[in-house]
Parts: sequence; C-alpha cells; structure tokens
Amino acid sequence: MDNILSVLVFFPAIAGMLGFVVNKDSARVYGITVAAIEFFLSLWLWFAFDGHNPGMQFVEMIPMIPDFGVSYYLGVDGISLFIILMTTLMTLIGIMSMSVTENVKNMVITLLFLEMTMVGVFVSLDAIIFYLFWELSLVPMLYIIGAWGGTLRVYAAIKFFLYTFMGSLIMLVGMLFVAYIYHDLTGVWSFALTDWYALVLPVNYQLWLFAAFFIGFAIKVPMFPFHTWLPYAHGQAPTIGSVILAAVLLKMGTYGFVRFSLPMFPDASVIAITPIAMISIIMIIYTAMVAYAQKDMKQVVAYSSVSHMGIIMLGIFAMNAEGIGGSVFQMLSHGIVSGALFMLVGVIYDRRHTKMMDEFGGLASIMPKYAVIFGIMLMASVGLPLTIGFVGEFLVLIGFYQVSPIMTILAGSSIILGAVYMLSVYKKSFFGPVTKDENKTLKDLDIKETVSLVPLVLIVIWLGVYPKPILEPIDNSVKAMLSFMDEKAITQEAKDMIQVAKSTKEMK
Amino acid sequence: MESLVYIALFAPFVSSLFAALFGMSPRKTFVGAIASLLLFVSLSASMMLAYHVYQTGESVHITMMDWIHMGDLYIPFGFNVDQVSVTMMNVVTLVSTVVHIYSIGYMDHDKSFNRFFSYLSAFVFSMMVLVMSDNFAGLFIGWEGVGVCSWLLIGFWYHKPDLTREENPSISPSWAANEAFIMNRIADLGMLIGLFIIYWNVGSLQYDAVFAAIPHLTDVILSTAAIALFIGAMGKSAQFPLHTWLTDAMEGPTPVSALIHAATMVTAGVFLVIRVHPLFSVTPEVSYFIAALGTFVAFFAASMALVNRDLKRIIAFSTLSQLGYMFAAAGLGAYWIALFHLAAHAFFKALLFLGAGNVMHAMHDELDIFKMGGLKKSMKATYIYMGLASLALAGIPPLAGFFSKDAIIETAFNEGTLILWVMLVVTAGMTAFYSFRQVFLTFEGDERYKEFGIHPHEMYKFVLVAMSPLAILAVIAGFFRESFNAFVTHLLPGYEMSEHTHHLALILGAIVFAFAVGGILLAYKKYAKGLKRSEKVENSFIYRLLANQYYIPNLYEEFISKPYAMISEMMWKGVDLKIVDTTVDGIAKFLYRSGDGTRKMQTGNLSNYLNWMAIGGVLLLVVAMISAMIG
Amino acid sequence: MIGLSHYLIVSALIFSIGLVGVLRRRNLLMLFFATEVMLNAVNIAFAAISHYYNDLTGQMFAFFVIAIAASEVAVGLGILIVLYKKQGSLDLDELTTMKG
Repeated sequence: MDNILSVLVFFPAIAGMLGFVVNKDSARVYGITVAAIEFFLSLWLWFAFDGHNPGMQFVEMIPMIPDFGVSYYLGVDGISLFIILMTTLMTLIGIMSMSVTENVKNMVITLLFLEMTMVGVFVSLDAIIFYLFWELSLVPMLYIIGAWGGTLRVYAAIKFFLYTFMGSLIMLVGMLFVAYIYHDLTGVWSFALTDWYALVLPVNYQLWLFAAFFIGFAIKVPMFPFHTWLPYAHGQAPTIGSVILAAVLLKMGTYGFVRFSLPMFPDASVIAITPIAMISIIMIIYTAMVAYAQKDMKQVVAYSSVSHMGIIMLGIFAMNAEGIGGSVFQMLSHGIVSGALFMLVGVIYDRRHTKMMDEFGGLASIMPKYAVIFGIMLMASVGLPLTIGFVGEFLVLIGFYQVSPIMTILAGSSIILGAVYMLSVYKKSFFGPVTKDENKTLKDLDIKETVSLVPLVLIVIWLGVYPKPILEPIDNSVKAMLSFMDEKAITQEAKDMIQVAKSTKEMK
Repeated sequence: MESLVYIALFAPFVSSLFAALFGMSPRKTFVGAIASLLLFVSLSASMMLAYHVYQTGESVHITMMDWIHMGDLYIPFGFNVDQVSVTMMNVVTLVSTVVHIYSIGYMDHDKSFNRFFSYLSAFVFSMMVLVMSDNFAGLFIGWEGVGVCSWLLIGFWYHKPDLTREENPSISPSWAANEAFIMNRIADLGMLIGLFIIYWNVGSLQYDAVFAAIPHLTDVILSTAAIALFIGAMGKSAQFPLHTWLTDAMEGPTPVSALIHAATMVTAGVFLVIRVHPLFSVTPEVSYFIAALGTFVAFFAASMALVNRDLKRIIAFSTLSQLGYMFAAAGLGAYWIALFHLAAHAFFKALLFLGAGNVMHAMHDELDIFKMGGLKKSMKATYIYMGLASLALAGIPPLAGFFSKDAIIETAFNEGTLILWVMLVVTAGMTAFYSFRQVFLTFEGDERYKEFGIHPHEMYKFVLVAMSPLAILAVIAGFFRESFNAFVTHLLPGYEMSEHTHHLALILGAIVFAFAVGGILLAYKKYAKGLKRSEKVENSFIYRLLANQYYIPNLYEEFISKPYAMISEMMWKGVDLKIVDTTVDGIAKFLYRSGDGTRKMQTGNLSNYLNWMAIGGVLLLVVAMISAMIG
Repeated sequence: MIGLSHYLIVSALIFSIGLVGVLRRRNLLMLFFATEVMLNAVNIAFAAISHYYNDLTGQMFAFFVIAIAASEVAVGLGILIVLYKKQGSLDLDELTTMKG
C-alpha cells in the first residue's frame, strides 16, 4: 500500500459521504465500524513504519498547481506517526462512548469529516494542503459545538471559530511570505515543507515569520493569554466534542511549532526561548490556580489542559532531544488522558445533568468502577510514574533544565499544583459522605462506557511502563531534526543553544 | 538468584492484583490469606537473597528491560540487591507480612476488606521498587508509588465527612490523604530537581555511574544536588517543615500506620541518604545540616508527644522523633548506625502501632488515652507487647532500641557536636516519658472506659501470634549489632568511635540510661495510679502550644491554603474573566459596534448613497493627490 | 483661440452640474438626466483630447459611451416605469426598502 496516507485521510471522508444514505438507527454502528477500520489502517501504518529511519516515509507527491508549486504532498515521520494513531484512536473511542441521542447520524458524519481534516493536518507536507486541512477542521467542530452544545453554544462556537480563524489567517500570510521569499531566492514557486526547510533566512525575516506562525499556533495551543476561547468551547461542547478538541485539535498547535517553527526558523526559535518559556510558565501556574478555583468539573479539566499544554510548549523550546521528544510524547499522553477525563466527566453529566462538584460527593461508594478509572486517569494527569503522564512530563522538565534551572523549578511546580486541583476535584466529588439523594441511585459504568474507557486505561499503563516502541521513532526523528537545525542555524548563539544528542554526534 | 529477585519483587505485585480482582466484591478471608502468603513468599526470597549476599559478599544485579530512552537519557528497569537494599527488603517484607496477617484480624468487619489488601500489597511492591532500584529514576518510581498507596490507604475510609479542626485535628481521612500527597509532591519536586542536576552533570542516573563521577564534580554541583535530594527525603520522612502530614496520616487504618507511617515508607528518606552516601559524605555542610535538622525534629516531635492525648498520634510523633535520630546519625556520617536504627525502629514501632491497633479494636476505635486506663486486665498480651516496644523505644538495655539509639547519641558525642548530643540525650528522656505515659494511661490505673460503656476484649489469638516475630526482634535485634555492622560496611563506610569516646562509652551510656529511666519513673509516678488532670497545667501556654502542634497546621492553613484558594479565586474571577477574556471580547465587541454604528449609513435612500459615493470619490482623489505630492 | 483647456473647463463645468444634479435631485428620472449630463461631459473631454492628440481612440470611446448610455437609458427607463407602476412615485426619499 503505497498510498496508505491518502487512504487514511480520505477514507473517513468518503465513508462519511456514504453515511448520508445509511439508515438512521444504524448510524452509530456504521460510525464505529468506519472509525475502527481507520484505526486499524493507522495501526498498519505503524507496523509498516521503519522506526530507524528518521526521515519522511510513505511520501506521496502529486503536483496540483505546478505554476505556483502547490502539490498534494504527504508523508509521516516519527513525530507525526503517533499523533495520527492517537487521532484515530480517540475518534474511535469517542464515537464508541458517544452519548448524543439527537441527530446521531449527523454527528457521526461530522466526526468522520473531522477525522479526515485532523489526519490531513498531521500528514501534510505542503503548506497549502496543511492550511487547507487546518482551516477545514474548524468547520465540523463549529457545527458540533453549535448544534449539540449547551445553552451558550452559539457564543462559544463563534468565539472558537473566529478566534482560531483569525490566528490562522495571520499564519497564512506568513506562509505566503515564505513562498514569496523562496521564489525570490530560487526562481521557482514551492510550498513543499521539505523545500522550505532548506531555506536559510536572515534573522530579522525569521523573527517576523516566527511571529506570524506563532500567532496561528499559539491560539490553537492555546497559549496564555489567547486561551479564553477554550473554557467556553469545552464548557458548551458535548462530551464528544470536548474529547476530540482536547485530544487532537489542541495538538495541532504544538505540532505546528515542531513541524514549522523549529526547523524553519532555528535562530528565531532560539531567540524566542525565554519569552515562550515565560508564557509557558505563566500558563502552567496561572491556569493551575484557575483550575483550582473552578466549581465545574469540566472546567477544571479544561483549564488543566491549558496547564499541561504549557508543559508541552516548554519542552518544544528546550532545544534538546529530551525536551522535544518529551513534548511529542506528552502530546500523546495529554491527548489520551484529557480525552479520557472529559469522557469521565461526560459519564456523570449523562446521569446527573450537572457538572457542578458540590452536587456530587461520595461517588466512590456508589460508582466504584467509575471512581477507579477516574482515579487512574487522575494519577496519569498529575504525572505519576508508570503511567503515561510521567514519561512526557519528566522528559520535558529534564530537557528544559539544561536551558534554565530556575524556570524548570517554576514549571515543575505543575506537579504540585496539578496534584492540588486534581485531588481537590477527587475529594469533592468522590470522597466524603453521600449527601444528595439523587446520587444514591446512580448506576455505575455501563458496558458501552466500560468498553470505551478500559482500553484507554490499558494504554495509559502500558505506555507508562513500556514507552519504548513509541519513544524510539520519536527519538530518531527529533535527533535528526535537531542536527539539521544545528547545521542550518546562522547565529552562533543558536548553534550553542541547539543541543545535538551525543549519539548523533558519534554517528558522524 | 535472579529469579529470587523477581520473586521478591513481584510477589507483592501479584498479591495486589489478586486482591484487586475481588476489590469490589464483599469480604473474603482467603484474599487476605493469599495476600499474606504471597508476602511471605517475598519475605522468604528476600531472606535467601540476604543469605546469598552475606555468603558471597557480592550483590545481585539485574536489568529487566528498558524504560525510557530519549536523546542521551537512558533509564532501564534495573534492580540491585546489595547489603543495603537487602536489609531494607527484609525489613519491609517482614513487617509487611506481619501487618498483612494482622490485618486479616483487624479489618475483619470492614466491608472493603479485599480492597485494603490490594492497596497494602501495592504499597509493598512500590516500596520494593524503591529500595531495589539501581538508578535514581527507579527510586523515584517507588517513591511516588508509595506516595499514591499512602494516599489511598490514609483515605481508605473516604466516606467520613470533613470535621472542624477542633473536633478532629486531621479534619477527615480524605483531607489527610490529600495533605500527605501534596506535601510529598512538594518534596518530590526537590528530588526531581536533584535528578536533573545529576543527569546533566553526569549523563546518567545509574547509581554506580553517578558515584563514580562524584570526584569529578565541583562542590557547588554536589551541594545543590545533595540539598535537592534531601528536600525529597524531608517530604517522605516528614521532617520539619513538611512534617504535619504524618500525624494527620493516622486517619488511616492502624495496620497502615504501622507499616507505612512507622516502619517503611517514612524511612525512605533515611534510606535515600544512606543509599546516596557517596554524595552526602563529600558534602559536609549539607550533611551537618541534615544532622542538625534531624536532631531538631527529634526534640521538636518528642515535645509535641508529651501532651498529646491521641494514642496513635503519640506514636506518630515518636516516629517523627526517631526519624530525626536516624537523620542525625546519617548526617554525622554514621550511615550503618542510621540503617541499624531504621531496622530496629521498624520492628518495635510496628509492634507498638499494632498494639495500639489492638487497643483500638478493643475500645471500638476510641483513641483518647484519657478515656482508657486499666486495660491490662483484659488485654495482657497486648500490654506485654506494647510495654516491650516502649521499653525498646525508650532505649532500655538489652532491647533493640538501646543498641541503636545509644550508638547514635554516642556518634553525636564522638563528632564533637555537643549541642546535638545534649538535645538527643534530653530527647531520649522525653521519649521514655511519653512512651510510658501512654502505656500507663492505657493499661494501668483506673478503668475510665467504663463510663463510656465499652467492654474491651483481647485481639484474636492468631493476630497476637503473628505479632510475635516483631516482639522477638524488638528484644533481640540489638545483639546483632556487630554482625550487622560487618555485613553492611561492605558497602557503607565504617564508622568507628575515637579512642576518647571509647573510654567514655560507659559514662555516656549511663547518662542516656539515666535519662531514659528517669523518664519512665516520672511517667510512673504521674500516671500509673490513674489520671490526675490539672486545669492549671492544661491551660498553660506551653501545654496549649504543644497540644496544638505549635499551631503549625493552623499557620499553614492561614498562610498557605487559604491565601492560595483566595488567589486562585481572584485569578479566575479577577484576571481570567475580567481582564483576559474581557479584552478578547472587547476586541470582538469593538468590531461589532463599529459595524453596528456604520450600519446607520445604509438608509436605503439612493440619494444618500450617492452622496457617500461622492464623498468617497473626493477622499480617494485627495489621497491620490497627497501621495502624488509626497511620492 | 479656443484651446483644449477651454473644452476641458466646459466639460468639468457640465460634469459638476451633472454631479450636483445627482446629489441634490430627489426624483429618480431627474437623477437619470443628471447622469446623462455627466456622461456627456466626459464625452466632450474625450472628443477634445482626441482632437488634441490626433488620436481617434478617444472619439471611438465617446461613441461607445453614447451607445452604452443609450442602452442604459432604455433599460433604466423600463425599470423606472415598472417602479412607478408599483410604487406610484419616483421620489427617492420614499424608496427606502433597502434600509440596513
């Protein structure tokens, strides 16, 4: 299968089109089947992937607008491979656990289209195609929030759309400018990332372009102070929307930094280390505090997402393999853990139709299975060793320690503050006596919920104990990227800052 | 040998999983029995390993698999069984086996019986990982693992509601559990930083690589690494100022207190200092700080124990105090003595706690020793056990505590740190006093419990039998001091008293003994005949200060928890909603309003439009003219 | 001697008259006339400049403008008649259904 990537991208979309003729009652089963096939296809991709090859694999290239160098150009490397796997997995689990009852068919079709755009973003190697999928992903999410959301859904949906859209427009300007410079220097038009990588830009150009891309990605991440769309979007979105939003859509931003900003603008990235690290630390500490103040369980998880994304951002700008690799791993880990946490919040919301923690209390004795799974995910979220959350967080912090010990200590406070808000959620909701009568008759997890949550629990533990199969390809690609950045950097400061792994040096 | 290592390590894990299978089903005695059996298997394997290490003098090292490999960082799951870790393994598995068997009896009426065993075995597994790991990251896994198990077990009776601090100083089990976890996390951050320092200066987290690189590192790096690691140790071993969680942790079931909060987990900090002794022995300032802090905590905790009325809290304070002794020894360079005291303390303190558990079981969970008294009639065996343990704790020869504690006090003298010596001696007297105050108030004197209509009864026979190994060890462990010394100093640096101290050894021992006996006699005089309360004393400033733990928990609440909650609230409502979000909405609103404002232009009247068009045309002309003139 | 500038001044004057008519008149029919006046002002300018440069393109353009103006009037008057039949008035102040 040479064009496995095209299949991965378009299979869900085509299946989604066919979904229109599917009977209403079987829409869910249809969705699960399609998502499962897609997931197995992505597993096959992993199986066929050569972990020792740090470059792009399964490359497909078809010129689309040759005059302007726009081509249909796809490929995966160790960095994007697992994000794709996580995307297909979370879509599958999301559809499996879906508790939407109205317009199920529309929801399934929307999700399948969304899956196409998400996979598309992570496999695109052409800036225009990337941008296309990037923007397209907004539409299904807009629809999901706007159509199935809570009372403020229209406000939240529009805020989400306009905010992220504005950011990506600025990014588009940056992309066009890069292409223009490329044309200026070489005489040909190209939007292919691999061509752009070869472009050595003067530092002032790099800074401006970095800023343009930064705004697009930072709003998506979302970085402080561009994060306020997120609590609204999560607060109003249905469970499935939150799961996908937290698990995958946010990762597009951080992925963009790794894919575009670092290799294209190494000098600007090095200059940006301190400001970005400062923003990240504000994100980590500030949103952890805000999360602690929340009364709504879902908002806690939403703000905790921002806090964890801060860790990921910090790692990306550590400029060493430990930090960047840790960040990529943390993207997967956060995707799975926060997705699961949103699903868990959804479970109780379906039963009680409220997310306010003071309505709960003592759930551990009424819903023991639920409490166990919530507890495991909570521990993964606070980064307990031997769960998936620790590996990424540890690598990021150890990576960034080389850049700045003081900032690492500040960022490391996330392991304390994370425990503070997460444990307080757990205490308020699950511990203590059962005070409310409505809670006394709650049912524990049903089969549907168990089947969707247990695989995530298994993955959380498996990747916490044995992350090697995932870390190895990431490691290879990240090391290759770093040594490439080091060669490309023009200022001495950047060369000093970018840490090529010792093992890479030895190979040379 | 390798399979023995795996058996010792994974038997508790299997036990935990097995018990977890029945976690949600009603009480099944066989779960407890099988868990205990598996723990016994682990104990046997640990003993065989100890014998092997003793015989050959070599350590057993295995690497199970890779864990994390990224960039230049390489962390395997490696386990090392050497003299130090095998000692810890035996202490841990021995006490755990006893505690498991004990729990079958103690928890027999609890509906979450199976779940309890699952947690307890998981704790033992984490602890084994902690002590057996051959690298810092593995240590950290165990370190956090025991933290979580401790969280689960302190909060075991999670359904209890929050009370005010006056009604229950620990508020509620779940509150105490969270407090313990969060405080430990604060210290864990310090420890993580220590790991980072080591990694970036050595390039590895394996103990042997790190120890080999120590001579090449500068003093600053070594000292900061030592401080950072010690901060980690302070949290786990509840040293001041991170000590408040330990007494609150008494909310957990008593076997948990015996195993985790007396014998094993809290000694992990001491173990860390011993394990990383090559680092601490080259950083004398840090080590001296450790010794000084240890001595301070020994005294400080003992002072709070003097007036406390809660059976378990008194023992918890004494644990804190004894941990202080261990740190004093480790800080002064007498690592093997610290390890010896750690082991001896594990035996008698676990015994003491289990005895307290018996009392609680008899008294229907009443913990106030002022409401007990005269229990010796109905609980003879428990009285003997607790009496023995208290004697050992007080350091009366020939019990275990005498040999280990006396050595520590002697070390303080030998190092010439007289202030520490004096404090440790005084603390020894206080220890004897509060231990026997507790014993006498519980078992001797008038039977105050009768007022409350309680009919105490002795614990099950098998439980009492199960406790006997601890009792025996509490008595005889001291006699193995020299052979223990010879065994562990294969790995740890030896510590010999100077000639001078050697000559004075008898006198020094006599002083300590005098203090200990003095303490016991004082306690006997005051409490053996019954409780005589004095309003004047109880209302005195010092009494209230001590009874309220120097108001430190209140202080933390007023100056840390409450302000944190307040600032968080402010950050959310004040900053996030009012400033950040309002700015964003403001931009959107500006655009919206400007559109809304200019909408009025669109009157629908063609004539107006034409006017606007003309104005626009004129404006464009003007712009064109100006730009032509400038350009 | 009457030079180019005279023609252009006349053209500008007529254009201004047309413009004022467009801006001030309220009757749609009058508005139409005013635009025709403006178009013719431009035509004068075209013809004059064409003559000045000896280039016939300008005059050709003027013819085009006349032709287009004629067809525009045809269509426009048609619309006006329909509008008048529908509304009973051609006063712009009363035709504000397109209000935003």
